[in-house]
Amino acid sequence: MPTIEFSGKQLEVNEEGFLVHPEEWTEDLAAHLACKEEGLDAMTDEHWAVIRFIRGHYEANGSAPMVRSICRTTGVALKRIYELFPSGPARGACKLAGLPKPDGCV
Amino acid sequence: MISGLQIGVLASGVWALGLLGALHRRAQGYGRRELFARAAGDPRKGVAYAFGKGMSPAAKESAREHLPTWFAGVGYHLGILAGLGYVALLLVGIELDGMLRLGFQAPLLAGALCGTGLLVKRAFTPRLRALSCPDDFLSNLLATAFVALAFARTISARLDAAFLAETMLLLLWVPVGKIRHCLFFFTTRYHMATHFGRRGTFPPASFPPRA
Amino acid sequence: MPELDELEARLARLEPADFERGLAVFRGKLRGAEASYLETCVRCGLCADSCHYFRADHELKSIPAYKLSQVASVFKRHCTVEGRLASALLGAKSFDRAMARTWVEAIFGRCSLCGRCSLNCTTGIHIATVLRAARSALAEMGLVPSDLQSVVTQSLESGNNMGITKQDWIETVEWLEEELQTAVGDPGARIPVDKEGARVLFTVNPREPKFFPLSLQASATVFHAAKEDWTVASEGWDLTNYGLFTGDSVQAGAIADNLLRSMQRLGCRVLIIGECGHGYAAARWEAPEWLGREHGFEVRSFLELMEDYFREGRLKVDPDRHQDPVTLHDPCNLVRHGGVCEPQRTILRRTVRRFVEMIPNRAENFCCGGGGGQLAMARFQAKRVQAGGVKAEQIRRSGAKTVVAPCHNCIDQLMELNREYRLGVSIKTVAEIVADALVFDQPVGR
Repeated sequence: MPTIEFSGKQLEVNEEGFLVHPEEWTEDLAAHLACKEEGLDAMTDEHWAVIRFIRGHYEANGSAPMVRSICRTTGVALKRIYELFPSGPARGACKLAGLPKPDGCV
Repeated sequence: MISGLQIGVLASGVWALGLLGALHRRAQGYGRRELFARAAGDPRKGVAYAFGKGMSPAAKESAREHLPTWFAGVGYHLGILAGLGYVALLLVGIELDGMLRLGFQAPLLAGALCGTGLLVKRAFTPRLRALSCPDDFLSNLLATAFVALAFARTISARLDAAFLAETMLLLLWVPVGKIRHCLFFFTTRYHMATHFGRRGTFPPASFPPRA
Repeated sequence: MPELDELEARLARLEPADFERGLAVFRGKLRGAEASYLETCVRCGLCADSCHYFRADHELKSIPAYKLSQVASVFKRHCTVEGRLASALLGAKSFDRAMARTWVEAIFGRCSLCGRCSLNCTTGIHIATVLRAARSALAEMGLVPSDLQSVVTQSLESGNNMGITKQDWIETVEWLEEELQTAVGDPGARIPVDKEGARVLFTVNPREPKFFPLSLQASATVFHAAKEDWTVASEGWDLTNYGLFTGDSVQAGAIADNLLRSMQRLGCRVLIIGECGHGYAAARWEAPEWLGREHGFEVRSFLELMEDYFREGRLKVDPDRHQDPVTLHDPCNLVRHGGVCEPQRTILRRTVRRFVEMIPNRAENFCCGGGGGQLAMARFQAKRVQAGGVKAEQIRRSGAKTVVAPCHNCIDQLMELNREYRLGVSIKTVAEIVADALVFDQPVGR
């Protein structure tokens, strides 16, 4: 398994950069991944709202939320999500929120 | 008077044809696939394309982009066909001369050169060599030697025995090694073309199939 | 290549009986056609450049003839007398642990089953179909990479490949219906669910409701504009079928049956497969073979249906809305394997100002690199993105600003290529392009 180094620790990720152990996730890591994996200059409040909601949903249900829930709950418009996360909600936002890679065509 | 070698060639021919027939039956013994999906295109049109326009080098990128190899292959096969025709003539006692002899010598010489070229390419291109098994070299050697000896035999009747012996070897090897593609080329192409014909991929909407 | 760690453990556990079962399944997949294919290769090597993997890495192991020869050598050794007697001379090889590993690496790791080599083979071997039979053997032996298998398992367990609950699906459809009403300015616009007797049952890829609903909304907009009698199903709505990629026909058949049961339940006349390559090939071409029966209804691609709408004058578009050059990606399963080639072109020529073809195109297209289940197999990601470089270069050379891809799987790969190769293009479905250009009889917003 590949690893990434973050704040002195080696974290296992899969070949596409999704965390192998989602429990190792921290908000600092999200900010780090945002820059390294998603090429974002800075995390805005909108980014954080989306990521925290996805993370919370994952911790409660063990899965990624529907994009509808993300929009409804955070108030971020659908088209805005794709601007915030150029790789999209799955390979972008879910990865930053420390989720394992979702099944399906993503 | 029929010589022992001539009998040998005939027997090898029977062996080759017989075993090719057996190989064909073995392959077809796997059965026909019963198909349930409704056809979108006509399989017969697919076959007509595959054995017609689809044979043109314009129809395939693999041929278009590798014309020297493709022409070498065509030359090689024409040489082999000429060689087989030549053997048949010799067996019925016809000696060629004049223009007719030239008509055979040209493809035989070209075929021998092309075959040698392809053998050299196989031996000295690292990837192609790595892709090959011993049969690839043996089959080419036998076929190229056959064409070369056929050419030599058109010049000197003294090479009659050598040529017929080589013909025997080649015919004996045909069904065993990869030269069996002389049969399977046709069945394979037929099956592939039927498949893509049914699906409407063959014949392509535009020809050559580019924008 | 990434090390085959978890697979390696499974390989290590294989018993002789597993190899026997794998071979039996492989043999069972063969008919006269495949048996002929396996006898024909002369290893001329001309297929090499037809493969996007080889174009990208120039490695022996990426040559289609190499991949085929790994399978053919096993066939020779185990299914022919001459191969058993003269194995070294004829290149026949035993199906052992090392060979199974080679198969996994060659057939899962370096092949998207795109079939481009099949059309480029000098002799005409349908290579992809032989390699798919080999995948079936690996599936029988439990050697499908776990993340690919988990997509199949998810479909079998939940009825869709993302495990979306019925409630989540319905709520998303209702949400999109509201969005549709706002967008077209018609409170009567509907996305009907479970409408019995509707002419058209429309099926979608789960990634649309889950993460990318704009394409679904665009499809609904097209249906609305065409005044189609259509519906989606509350259950059995997922058009994907990753069983096509694992090669397990029993599981693939069970997944395909979800759609057929929806058709039966709702009594629709035409099953429309949304924009998806493998979903179309699976439902239209493979499902009848997996299930051993003809569909009692028509299965068509949404592209064919949209082409009908244009021909019948049911859609009015303003191509001036799309001024930038637009190019089209040909999904392998839709075009080469599926035979749906021209409708998308007819539609785009009417809908955009400047339609430019990629070179090559149609049945000669290059795979995006994401097909054959590649996107689901993380272990082969680096190879997949490298092989996708061929498509990226094609896109760059087209000069287009928008790439239209009638396949969600391709779209995902193209999005990654867009980022990795800095293409700076936007990637859309055909329906999205059409929906953006639609002109309604009544002004929007009234």
